[in-house]
Amino acid sequence: MNLDSAFDIPPEVSARKVGEELVMLDLVSGTYFGLDPVGMRLWELLQEGKSLRQVCDTMIEEFDVSRDVLEQDVLALVRDLVDKKLVSPRP
Amino acid sequence: MRQVEVSLTGDAARFQQARAAEPFHHWDLPDGTPWARFYRTATGYLLSFPDLADFEVSADGRRVTCVPVPGISDATIEHLYLNQVLPLALSKRGKLVFHGSAVEIGGGAIAFLGESCRGKSTLAAAFAVNSHRFLTDDGLVLEPAGGVYQALPSHPSLRLWEDSHEKLLGSDIEMAPSLAYTSKARFLAGSRLTHCDAPRPLRTAYFLGDGSAPEVTVRPLTAAETMIAWAKHSFLLDVEDRALIGTHFDRIATLANSMICYELDYPRRFDELDRLLAAVTAHATNLSAVR
Repeated sequence: MNLDSAFDIPPEVSARKVGEELVMLDLVSGTYFGLDPVGMRLWELLQEGKSLRQVCDTMIEEFDVSRDVLEQDVLALVRDLVDKKLVSPRP
Repeated sequence: MRQVEVSLTGDAARFQQARAAEPFHHWDLPDGTPWARFYRTATGYLLSFPDLADFEVSADGRRVTCVPVPGISDATIEHLYLNQVLPLALSKRGKLVFHGSAVEIGGGAIAFLGESCRGKSTLAAAFAVNSHRFLTDDGLVLEPAGGVYQALPSHPSLRLWEDSHEKLLGSDIEMAPSLAYTSKARFLAGSRLTHCDAPRPLRTAYFLGDGSAPEVTVRPLTAAETMIAWAKHSFLLDVEDRALIGTHFDRIATLANSMICYELDYPRRFDELDRLLAAVTAHATNLSAVR
């Protein structure tokens, strides 16, 4: 996985907004996962088919954070989502 | 439970038979003992409680037929039905049903949800003997109505471990017939253990921690935490029915958005119980209305 990777949302994964957060459910495994507003924005951009670099290009304009920190945080969160099978790397 | 939307009929007792198919879902007790096995049938579902009873549930959750194992008491069957099978059948009907107890405070209901042995029934009993009637000790059904969620009353009985009932109720209270599957004693509601037999609007829910807190601790949950907590404590008959689960996901998202809920933890010591009841009562009485 690198910043040029893009991801798909598996069909068995469902997400709902609650308050300012997002809850994802894997209908197969029954796994639940919550994302804060920053994570929810990342999820929205992934859904649009953007690569992680494009995701960072957008988010750097929206959040007060350095590019290095943002890229590290995005990569870490997406790795977590991949491990939980809530997103899958686009072939 | 109050609903009459599920009908129960009984067949003659017979011994359970081995099944060719594997269950599509199962529940085990904390020590690993099989508790319930879920099978698909041509007409719906079969819920098998080993050495106790089989319950055939129609695909739409409207009809239940019970086949008890010979020698199992009517009281055991009734309790299994009301506390396990009926909530599952209602979940298939699209109802919101949770593993939780509920009591009445200030004209509304507050609920306690948690895993087995977290203290749901003990809390319900403790409130019920202190002028706060209990609505249910498990199988909490919530019904959206007019912008609120009504907590529905369930069977007017409580099940308690021996240490809890001796401390809370003393030894001179009448017990209900014992149940084959648990060493918990069962107590019918009465003048000391007061039961509320009408729906009450749910004011909040407390999700019970593991008892590691050194003192009474109440923490507001985020909306996402609240939704996940409701989801984890849901009764769902068919965990493979994606359409139903998707609908359920929508409903608990709406529920989570409708009220602030809390994590409640406290030391599991009877000498702390009065302090706990006072703290929860004060907290529940001073809730802000909505999220």
